[in-house]
Amino acid sequence: MAKFITRRLAHAVLVIIAATFLIYLGLFTLGDPFASSGEKTVPPEIQEALRAKFGMDQPFFMQYLTYLQNMFTFDFGIDFEQRRDVADMLATAVPATARLALFAIIIEVIIGLTAGIIAAVAPYTFRDVFITIITTLGIGIPVFVIGIGLRAWLSGEWIFPAVPRSFTVETPWWQEIILPALTLAILDAAFIARLMRGSMLEVLRADFIRTARAKGISERKVIGKHAFRNSIIPVVTYTGVSLGVLLGGALITERIFEYQGLGYLLVRAISQHNNPVIVPIVVFAVVVFVLLSTLVDILYAYLDPRIRLH
Amino acid sequence: MRTKSVLLRAAAGLAVSSLVLTACSQQSNTGTDNSGDGDDKPTAFGYPEVENTEITEGKPGGTFRLGIVEPTAIDPYNAQESEGMLVTESLFTGLAHTNPDGTTEPAAAENWETNDDCSEWTFNLKTGNKFHNGEEVTSASFKRGWERTTAKAAASDVAYHFDQIEGYDAIQGGSATTLSGVDASDPKVLKVKLSQPSCEFYMRTAHTAMSPVPTVAGAADNQAYNDLPIGNGPFMMDGPWQHDAGIKLKRYEDYTTGDKAYLDAVELTILVGDETAQQKELDGLNNGQFDWARVPPNQLKTTRDKYEPQDGWISKKTFGIDYLQVAVTKAPMDSADARKAVSMAIDRATISEGVFDSSRAPATSWVPGGYKDAYQPGVCDACEYNPEEAKKLAEKAGLKPGTEINFQFNTGGGHEEWTAAVKQQLEKNLGLKVNYSGVEFSDMLENQKQPTSTGIYRLSWGGDYGTPGNFLQPLFATSAIGTSDPNAPATGDNRGRYSNPEFDKLIEEAAASKDEAERNELYKKAEKIAIGDDLANIPMFERQQFRAYDSSKWGNAGFMDFHENPPLDVIFQK
Repeated sequence: MAKFITRRLAHAVLVIIAATFLIYLGLFTLGDPFASSGEKTVPPEIQEALRAKFGMDQPFFMQYLTYLQNMFTFDFGIDFEQRRDVADMLATAVPATARLALFAIIIEVIIGLTAGIIAAVAPYTFRDVFITIITTLGIGIPVFVIGIGLRAWLSGEWIFPAVPRSFTVETPWWQEIILPALTLAILDAAFIARLMRGSMLEVLRADFIRTARAKGISERKVIGKHAFRNSIIPVVTYTGVSLGVLLGGALITERIFEYQGLGYLLVRAISQHNNPVIVPIVVFAVVVFVLLSTLVDILYAYLDPRIRLH
Repeated sequence: MRTKSVLLRAAAGLAVSSLVLTACSQQSNTGTDNSGDGDDKPTAFGYPEVENTEITEGKPGGTFRLGIVEPTAIDPYNAQESEGMLVTESLFTGLAHTNPDGTTEPAAAENWETNDDCSEWTFNLKTGNKFHNGEEVTSASFKRGWERTTAKAAASDVAYHFDQIEGYDAIQGGSATTLSGVDASDPKVLKVKLSQPSCEFYMRTAHTAMSPVPTVAGAADNQAYNDLPIGNGPFMMDGPWQHDAGIKLKRYEDYTTGDKAYLDAVELTILVGDETAQQKELDGLNNGQFDWARVPPNQLKTTRDKYEPQDGWISKKTFGIDYLQVAVTKAPMDSADARKAVSMAIDRATISEGVFDSSRAPATSWVPGGYKDAYQPGVCDACEYNPEEAKKLAEKAGLKPGTEINFQFNTGGGHEEWTAAVKQQLEKNLGLKVNYSGVEFSDMLENQKQPTSTGIYRLSWGGDYGTPGNFLQPLFATSAIGTSDPNAPATGDNRGRYSNPEFDKLIEEAAASKDEAERNELYKKAEKIAIGDDLANIPMFERQQFRAYDSSKWGNAGFMDFHENPPLDVIFQK
């Protein structure tokens, strides 16, 4: 197992290096990321400070190393619009996005697994068909439609905060998170339900389940222990990947609900050509994604010992 | 106002009407339903003007909330777009004030007088007024503020408003630390000497750049003051500016310069994303979070239908114009005939119907209708669509089919559709080969400045002070080119390099005339030359603005101030 983990981590490091290098190539060598563009002229002193920080007068290789060093020491420079420390901006956006992502994941896993198991245990019954229809809808409706719909119907009602709202209105974070988390969870929950149903149906036909039943183990134990653990593997993969994506910022959903997370920050930074903000967010998203998929691989190996051998 | 906030301006829905200045004539002339009859229809399409400027007595109380986009600055040294003006005008009271109708009246000054050639001005101040920190407002406070803004180190974008004052070049160049033309030796009197005499100088003092500041303001780079300006206006800051979040103002209880505000407080929520800000403002009004909103162009109809019946709809022609700037010294646009041919080949009404749902009125003059006494509808006779005449003129001017013409616009400002329609019409009606390109706004300005610039550009212009001269001098005067060398970049706002001695003379005469009626006559003549005869720039659409607000809650809120903002100083809670 230790060997497996080391190998996976080595892969991850390689992927991160390759990805950051590509981002670097894209953002830095295909033009000056700190030049003025768009409506606003970037103040020359800020441009100069950023060029110095990123060592843009140095040879290419040194530039890349400086950039890597800046990225991994959380030293990103100042943004073009507000002249604020980009690290500070990320320090408030990252926890907000992490909260949202975790909430969404919890909701989608609970709903998805429950629905999937219910459907699989009694295939082709009314319950199963009903769940299948609902999940098809959930997967089919684009996320922005769900988001805008939830916002139009629910925001400003009961505990759901109005969007937009006056900045003096204080809203507890969990109230602010409910609607965007639901929006994000609906699609994934539907997907997880389908994955779980399919995978469980297959497992339930397997020999060891028949054996378990033959041994007289209660149906609850057969489903809850034997079948569940063996059919959850695709769900784990999917959830891991989904978490990785969400942690990089949910662009559309955060924007619809004006949720102050990474995704909204990125959308705004892109529209302002605010490269000092764009660069670290993109790098962060990639690194988090790679690390999470590595973690999923390891978890996978723990759940299914066969994988370790390959 | 320079063309900086082009996004805001572009996005702002512009619509229109015939010249009904009386409010509430809401029936029938909505244009969309009488299209395509081919008749020579008058400008009667678009939305009628609706406003209620009657001011009634209110009672103190209430918090007025609205959404704005993040201003460049709220400190007078660099406040510039309408959002910055909204805050700065609430915090500061200058010598004069520009009324919503474009007239100028004394504010912190009791009165003013000037000598015969308008080169020396004496402002007698109202006494006993105090800044929010208790410091007395004297002539020195004004001198301090003016020098703070014009100092070289301030690098202010609005310092050019001081350029008529003696000593401006020295302080801007860094060779002086004071404005030699400003004398504050008597605390009750501010004396100003002008190096470029102007009988309209008093109007400029209404600009927020000319606000007084207390001693604590320090230099322009004092960040504590930039975010928490202490002024002498009807409102004061309630905590510092929270960037990207909001600004809170509260009533200044000891305001004595004018009438105290009724509102207890004003909450300005900063909405991010210029393009979507208007939509958010309207969403906020509809969900009860805001009390006032701009209206995105695509929601004009539904919003009007909802708010007009409850008297919460404001529709007003304001001080601005959309136009095509022409490089008049370079072929192929170097003759009046060529410019008129291009102008007559453009069907503004059809573009307005097709692209703006008839909410913008085709312009037929340069000076906006807001300046009632100088407005000359129809002075641009070549603004009328007439493809036959256009062809004849084009032939005369050597604008043969196949002639290449450059046409540049800025991307991201919502100008793609209507400029594309202009391009199509020029190709169809005149057979021109239009080199049509969209570039960033800053690049477009840079291109216009160059001596090699040719063709036409999309631009808009808004008023800074209450004079039609503000629409003529900066854009058409020879001195406003900024250089006399045809091979050097133009540094002024007259980037089309129009130059006509006759026009210049009229503008000079107007600046030297103390009589407003006479000035207006001179401006009319000047406009007739620059637009009617020479068509130095091609007028496209008049600027009209729309606002919605909750009239059940707020009184005195049925109109916009000169900068198209809510009149916070008089609004009260019902």
